[in-house]
This record gives sequence, C-alpha cells and structure tokens, in this order.
Amino acid sequence: MTLIEKIHSTTPTHRETDAGGSRGLRVRGLHKVLGGRTIIDNLDLTVQDGELVSLLGPSGCGKTTTLRMIAGFLAPDAGSIQVHDREVSALGAEKRPSAMVFQNYALWPHMTVVKNVGFPLKLRRLGKKEIEQRVDAVLALVNLLHHKHSRPARISGGEQQRVALARALVQEPELLLLDEPLSNLDAKLRVKVREDIREIQQRLGITTLIVTHDQEEAMSMSDRIAVMNAGKIEQFSRPAELYSRPETEFVATFIGSLNRIEGSLVNGAVVPGDDVIGIRPEDVVFTLHASFDARPAVVERVVPHGHFHEIYLKRDDATLRAFASGLPPAPGDRGHAAIQNALTFRQGRLVTTGGVAL
Amino acid sequence: MTLAPTRGSKRRAIATPAVARRPLGFFLALPPIILILLFVGFPIVLAFAFSIGLTGGLNHVIASIGLNVHEAENWWGTPAAYIEVLSNSRILRDLSVTVGVTALSTVIVIFLALGIGLFLKLRDGRMARLLSGLAIIPLFIPVVIASWAIVTFYSGDGFVRSVFAQFGVEAPVWAFTMVAVVIGSVWTSLPFAVLMITSGLQAIPNAMIEAARDAGAGFLRIVVSILIPMAFVPILIAVTFTAIGVVGSFTVPYFTGPNAPNMLGVSMSNYFSAFNQPQQSVVMAFIVFVIASGIAAAYVWANFRSAKDQGKV
Ligand SMILES: Nc1ncnc2c1ncn2[C@@H]1O[C@H](COP(=O)(O)OP(=O)(O)OP(=O)(O)O)[C@@H](O)[C@H]1O
Ligand SMILES: [Mg+2]
Repeated sequence: MTLIEKIHSTTPTHRETDAGGSRGLRVRGLHKVLGGRTIIDNLDLTVQDGELVSLLGPSGCGKTTTLRMIAGFLAPDAGSIQVHDREVSALGAEKRPSAMVFQNYALWPHMTVVKNVGFPLKLRRLGKKEIEQRVDAVLALVNLLHHKHSRPARISGGEQQRVALARALVQEPELLLLDEPLSNLDAKLRVKVREDIREIQQRLGITTLIVTHDQEEAMSMSDRIAVMNAGKIEQFSRPAELYSRPETEFVATFIGSLNRIEGSLVNGAVVPGDDVIGIRPEDVVFTLHASFDARPAVVERVVPHGHFHEIYLKRDDATLRAFASGLPPAPGDRGHAAIQNALTFRQGRLVTTGGVAL
Repeated sequence: MTLAPTRGSKRRAIATPAVARRPLGFFLALPPIILILLFVGFPIVLAFAFSIGLTGGLNHVIASIGLNVHEAENWWGTPAAYIEVLSNSRILRDLSVTVGVTALSTVIVIFLALGIGLFLKLRDGRMARLLSGLAIIPLFIPVVIASWAIVTFYSGDGFVRSVFAQFGVEAPVWAFTMVAVVIGSVWTSLPFAVLMITSGLQAIPNAMIEAARDAGAGFLRIVVSILIPMAFVPILIAVTFTAIGVVGSFTVPYFTGPNAPNMLGVSMSNYFSAFNQPQQSVVMAFIVFVIASGIAAAYVWANFRSAKDQGKV
C-alpha cells in the first residue's frame, strides 16, 4: 500500500507481521564512547513492525546519541542496527530507510513549505506530477495545505513541527525517528500534536521511535517505553506495567512519584533493613478514624495541585506523601495513614510488589 | 521592514516625545554628516563638474594647469571628455583588463573562500582550521610588501624560475604580467572573503545539513541546495566587496603589473601625474565608480530579495 492509499484509508493499517516476526528495528550490542566516556553501553532494543516506542530517560543518559546512531549521523563503535531485517549500520544517513524529525524541526528557511516537504522526493528524481501529489497528500494529512507556499519563518511553531513531520512522512520511511519532537511547543499544543502524531502513526502503521524526557508524553502515546539510564535500557515494557511493576528502583523513582524509604514493610509498618521500599503516593490513604493496618499520622503540609492535593504525613515509622482528592485536611490534623501497596527493591531490583514475592 | 503594522500605534505612543527628539537626533547625527559632505561629498561634486567640462570657480586652477582639458560652452557641461576617454583604444584596453582581472580574481577568491568555508563546516578538523587561519594572514601584511614579494618571487631571476632551472625547466616569468596582478588581488582579497563566508557557513545549524542528509542528499546536493542558499547574503557581501576592492585597486597592479595595458587605477594615476591630464583621469574614476555602483546595486537588490524570501520584509 502506498502512503497516499494509506492516508485515504480510514481503518488503521494492520501490522504486517509474518510468522517469523518481521522486526521494524533491531538494535544489538550498540556501543559508543565519546570523549573518553562510555555513553552507550551495549544497548539492545527491538521495535516491532508498526509499533511506537518511546526512549525515555533523564537528561544526558544517551537518548539523542542512540537515535543519531540509528539515523546514521553518528557511527557506533560496535553493534548492529537492522531495519526490517536489513543491516544498515554501514550505510550513511542518506542511504538509510529511516526519516527523522529534528528537535528544532530543521526546516530550510529559504524553501517554502512545499519545497521543504518535496525536497526528499526531488532527490529521488520522481516526476513533477508525482511529487506534487505526494506532497499534497501528506500536507493534507498534517492539515497544512493552506500554508503550502508559506516560508517556515512565517508559520507558528506547531505548524513548523507538522511540516517537519510531513517532510519525514513523505519519504515513506520504514522507520520514523523523532527527537523530542514536542519540546518546543507550549503545554496545550503539546497534547494536541502528540495526539496528532499518534493518530497519524496508527493510520500509516509506521514503525516509530520517539525520544523524550517527558514521561507523560511517553505514557500517553507509546505502545511500549524503553527507560534509559546511563547508556543502558533499564526496562522495556508497556506504559501501565512500567508504572505498576517497575523492575528497578531507578525506573520506579523516574516514572511517576514515589515515597522512597529504606527498610522493609512488615504488617503495614516500616522496619529498618537493607532493602528499599517504594510507595506510590496514591497508595497511601489518610483517614481521620482508625482502620485495619493504619497507623496514627499527623498532617505536616498540604500542597495543592489543582484537582488533587499532596499531603505530607508524619507517622512514627516514616514520613509519607499521599495524594488526595476532595476536601483536604489541614496541617496539624491528626488521623491514620495506611500503606495499601508497596514495591520492595533489593540492591536496586524489584523483589516484591504489594507484598507478593516475585 | 516590520514597521507597517505598528506604524499607527507607534506614532500615537511617541507622538509628543518625537517632536522633541527628532531635532535632537538630527543634531547628534550632524557632525558626521557635515564631515562627509565637506570632505567627501564636496570634492566628488567638484570632480564631477570638472569631468563634464565645468572649469570655472574652484576648478579653475586645475583646469588651467592640466593639459587637454575639454571646456563646456554652456552651464550644463559637455560629454567631450567622456567621449574622448571612451574612444581611446588604450584606455578601453585598460578598462577591459580591469573588468577581466576583477571578474577572474573575484571568482578565484570566492571559490577558495567557499572551499575553505565548506571544508571547515563539513569536515571540521585541524587541517581545516589551519587553512582558514592561513587564509587570514594577508590581512596582517601590508599590500606593498606583499606586492614586492610577489614580484621577486615570480621575476626573471626569482624563486620560482631558479627552482625550476635546477631541473632544467624554463618556468614562465609572471612578474609584471596580469597573472601577477590576479595573484596579488587574490592575496589581498582572500582574508575578508574567507572571514565573511566561513562565518556565514558556520552560522548554519548542523541540523539543517543533517536533515538534508536524512532526506537523501549527498555532498554536492547539500552544498548547492542548502549551504550556498542559506549563506547567500554573506557570500554576496564577499563577492561585492571583493569585486569593488579589486576594481579600484592600485597598489597591486602598480607594483606587479605591466606598463600597459594595466588596470584603470594605474592609468588614472598615470594620466593624473605623468601625463598631466587630470580631466581624463577624473573621467576614468567616474567610470570605475559606475562599475562599482553597478556591483553595489546588484548587492542591494539581491540582499533585499533574500530578505523578502525569508519573510523579513
Ligand atoms: N561529541 C561528544 N563528545 C563528548 N561527549 C558527548 C558528545 N555528545 C554527547 N556527549 C555526552 O553524551 C551524553 C549523552 O548525550 P545525549 O545527547 O545522548 O543525551 P540525551 O539523553 O539526549 O539528553 P537530553 O535529554 O538532555 O537531550 C551526555 O553526557 C553528553 O555530554
Ligand atoms: Mg537529547
């Protein structure tokens, strides 16, 4: 199916996975040393055909470096990169079947929107007619036909972002790479554009890898998330699982909010120990009256967050943060706090969740 | 510029202070304006009047000393001196040599500067930095000294011929030929062009190049479709400044060039002092001026067009 056909079809494209399991992207043993430091450390990553995967991690963990090696702008020291089972690591960026959307869009200012989007096709020596058709189709897809002849400097940030996306999509890449595509947009627009990207990606069934350091962004648009830390992938799983079953202490603290306490949990109470327990604030329940396994607690501080409140509680065994909606208690209030769920980590790795040993 | 949409509001906002400020601004700008008018503008006007045969008043002395002066019979002047100069085959040869040397030197300078700039941009390394550093050196060596160096280097008993003679090869004598003039012009113009063009190319974000590579562009494509258009204005500034500099050059052709035909700068000086024909000399100066302003007009036009392209105007 060509891009134009895909654009006009209303049903999402089915993932064309054959029995062997065609891989959109397969990275093995990727390694990179920069300035004497190991930036990417023996990294493996497999993205299924048609899947959208986010590479999520703190600043400086090597996300951009990884993406640039996959795109072909940076040569890895070791490792293999396969796109649809074809080894591409020896190819230059211009020969790879991937297309990239840059963080600052990198639109050429001396070309109009049509010229920018048509440039990759012009290089492929396609006919004028075909270029026009494909550019129009992809501009319609990103809803920018009315800006066809505008210069990048004359359109808004969100529109520039969509032009950059169109320029990548028009190449009908086997692999779409996006480096923090939304970081220059304001909060509202970010939500809208990320939904647009997700919708288009679903419609076209393009294998996509997005780099981001915004966990909400990763959570809301990805099929799976690869959490990176210090050049390694810590965990690679579905968003919900990442939150409920973080495999390492790093992932648990990085994704969402966490009460991190050294010790272990015995009958709802924290006792000193070598392990680390992690309790999500929503798993801490504060009530004014006593209940089973709740312990007396005093409200120390209440921080409003709009539709919910963050409550700092002092118990005799630990200080806990809890999320509560509805009418908040006041500082100084006395009541009871119960821990309903906890993650236990030994040497940084998850050993039990919710009291269930793994 | 972006004045149009804000003009109304601006006028209203600063209506009162503007009245007070405008004369003040004018007075502040007055000294340099007077200086330019007095020391540059006035002589130009006088010289132009002299060139069209208005030999009265302040031009009286020079007109009576100079030989072969065409005098106008009426107040609006006569083109006689221009006609004489433009029908003098010697001067016409000088003119065509001037245009030729200017075009050739400019092409070579821009080509070299672009080469160095692109090398620095695309393959940033020690070699590229060394090259761009070397290209700036002429800036710190006086033109007279460089000209003498060129003459002795390429003269009949110069370095080049001596070295070739060791191997029994007869190398050409380039001293006092137009080849030496072109070499000298390139030498003097290169630093500015390199500075201008490398900084123009360096200002292009690397992501622009990477985006082009990602789209499938090879080296040549990136240069032609991305780098040169994006550095168009700095390149144009380098072209015009180089061309205007060479067209009006004197020292280099005077020291390294032949007696005749040579560039107009040299003939001008010959006509002025050696031949004592100041009017013809002034006419040549105005011809060079017309060529230079033609180049400058091309520059202004192209600059404006590119600003318009980028949505700035
Ligand atoms: N050319 C280089 N030479 C030396 N170190 C480098 C080079 N490029 C990147 N690094 C280092 O590699 C590490 C990873 O960089 P990278 O740009 O991949 O981070 P990132 O995960 O994309 O971070 P961010 O979220 O801030 O963009 C950083 O510590 C950076 O300083
Ligand atoms: Mg980055």
